[in-house]
Amino acid sequence: MAGPTIDALGQFTLTTGLGGLGRAVNFTNSNEAMLGAAVVVVLVFALGLRSRALVPGRTQSLVELLYEFVRNMCVDTIGEEGLRFFPLVFTIFSFILLGNLIGLFPYFFAFTSHIAVTLTLALFVFVFSTGVGFYTHGFKFLKFFVPSGVPSWLLPLLVPIEIISYLSRPVSLSVRLFANMTAGHVMWEVFAGFMLLLTASFGVLGAFASVVPLGLNVALAALELLVAGLQAYVFAILTCLYLHDAVHMH
Amino acid sequence: MRRVSTALLLALAPSAALAEGTMPQMDFANPLTLDQVGWMAVILVVLYLLLSRWGLPEIGKVLEHRAGVIAKDLAAARAAKVEADQAVAQLNATIAQARAAAQAEVAKAVADAKADAAAKAAALASQLEAKLAESEARIDAARAAALAAIKPVAAEAASSILLKLTGSQPAEDKLAQRLDDALAARKAA
Amino acid sequence: MSEGRDKAAFEQRLKAAEQAAEGPKRDAAESDAGSARRAIELAMRLGVEMVAAMVIAVVIGWGLDKLFHTTPWLMILMVPVGMVAGLRNLLRASGDKTGG
Repeated sequence: MAGPTIDALGQFTLTTGLGGLGRAVNFTNSNEAMLGAAVVVVLVFALGLRSRALVPGRTQSLVELLYEFVRNMCVDTIGEEGLRFFPLVFTIFSFILLGNLIGLFPYFFAFTSHIAVTLTLALFVFVFSTGVGFYTHGFKFLKFFVPSGVPSWLLPLLVPIEIISYLSRPVSLSVRLFANMTAGHVMWEVFAGFMLLLTASFGVLGAFASVVPLGLNVALAALELLVAGLQAYVFAILTCLYLHDAVHMH
Repeated sequence: MRRVSTALLLALAPSAALAEGTMPQMDFANPLTLDQVGWMAVILVVLYLLLSRWGLPEIGKVLEHRAGVIAKDLAAARAAKVEADQAVAQLNATIAQARAAAQAEVAKAVADAKADAAAKAAALASQLEAKLAESEARIDAARAAALAAIKPVAAEAASSILLKLTGSQPAEDKLAQRLDDALAARKAA
Repeated sequence: MSEGRDKAAFEQRLKAAEQAAEGPKRDAAESDAGSARRAIELAMRLGVEMVAAMVIAVVIGWGLDKLFHTTPWLMILMVPVGMVAGLRNLLRASGDKTGG
C-alpha cells in the first residue's frame, strides 16, 4: 500500500470546467473561479442596491464602504483626475480581492496564484498607464526617464536605469501577487499533507499528532485572509501609483 | 513575448526550483495556461462594463443622495437656529422697548400729578391769602369803627365824671384835646 | 442657566454634524493608520522590487546578447545596472513622490 504523498502543486493544475461546453472552448477551472468572483461582485452590488436606503443595511454598507475605499484611494493617490480611472481600479481591485478570497475555500481554484493571470493583469496595467502617459503628455512623457537635476554626462547611465526600473513594474506587480498566493496555498497543502502522512504512518498516535499541522493551518488561514486583502490592496494602490506617474510625470 | 516571459519566470521564482519545473503555473506547453487568460479578458470586460455603467454610478447616486439629504437637514437646522436666534433677539428688543415706554409713561404721570398738585396748592394758597387779607381788612375796619365809637362815649363819661368831681362843666374843646391825646397814647401803647 | 448650556451644546453638535458631513479629515487619519499601512505596503514591495529590476536587466542583456552574438557579456554588464535599478525602485517605493 503506497502511502499518501504530498502533492502541493496539484491544486494549481488547470482542467476544463463547465463540462462539455467548457471543453469545447477551453474554459478552464480557473475561469470558473473568475466567473464566480465576477458574479459575486455583481451579486453583492445587486443586493446592496436593492433597497437604496438612506440608512444602509449590511450589504449596502459593504458596497458603499468598498466604493468609498477605492474612490479615496484613487483620489488620494492619483489626484482629482483619478476619478476617470476609478471604475477600472475598482474592477481590478474587486476582481483580485474576490479571486484571492474565493481561492481560500477548499476545492475552489485560486486563479491569482497563476503567473499567467497576474502577469496579464500587470501587463495590462503597465501598458494602460504607459498609454495614459503618452496620451496625456505626448512624446514629452519620455522625459519621465530623464531624471532632472543631474549632470548630463551621467544621463547615459541613469536613463537605462530608469527604463529598467520602469520595465520592472509589471514583473514586480505580477510576481508579488502570484508568489504570495502560491506560497500560502502550497503551505496549506503541505501541512494538510503532513496530517495525512502522520495518520497513515503512525495510526491513532499520528492522528493525534496531526493536531499540530492542523493548528498551523488554522493560523495560516487567518494569515492568508489578511494576505488576500492586502495583496488586492497593494495591486490596486500600485495601479493608482503608476497612473499617478503617467498623469503627473512625477 | 512568450519566450521572454517564460525565461523570465523560470529565472524568477525560487519556488520554481522547489517544484523542479513541474509547477502547473509554469506549464506553458499546456494550452489552457494561456486560454484562461483569454477568458479572463472576456470576464473582466463584462465585469468592467457592468460596474462602470451600472454598479458604481448607482452606488454613487445613493451616496450623493444621502450627502444631499444630510446637507439639506443640516442647512435646515442651521436656518432654524438662526431664525430662533433672531426671534430671541427680537423678543429681547421688544421687551426693552416696552419697558422703556412704560417707564416714560410712569414718569410722565408722576410729573403730571406733581404739576397738578402744585397748581392746586398754589390756587388754595392764593385763595387763603385773599381770605386772610379780607379778614384783616374787616378787623381793621371794625377796630376803626370801634375806636371812632369810643370817643363820644369817653367824652361824655369824662365830662360827667368831671362834673361830679369838680361840679363844673369842663371846656368842650379842652376835653376833646385831652381825649385825643389819651387815645393817641393808648393807641401808641 | 440651563438654557444657555443647551444652546451651546446645540451649537457644538450642529458644528460637529456639519464637519462630519463634509467628510473625515484626511490629514489627521493619515498620521497614524496611514503610516502603518504604508509601512506594511512597503514591506510587501521591497524584496520583489529589487528582484524584478534585476530580472528585467538580465533579460534585456540576454536579448541583446542574442541580437549581437555577444553572449554572455552584455548580460553580465547588465547585472550591476539591474542592481542599481532595483535600488532605484526601493528609493522610489520608500520616498514615493519625492523619488520622482
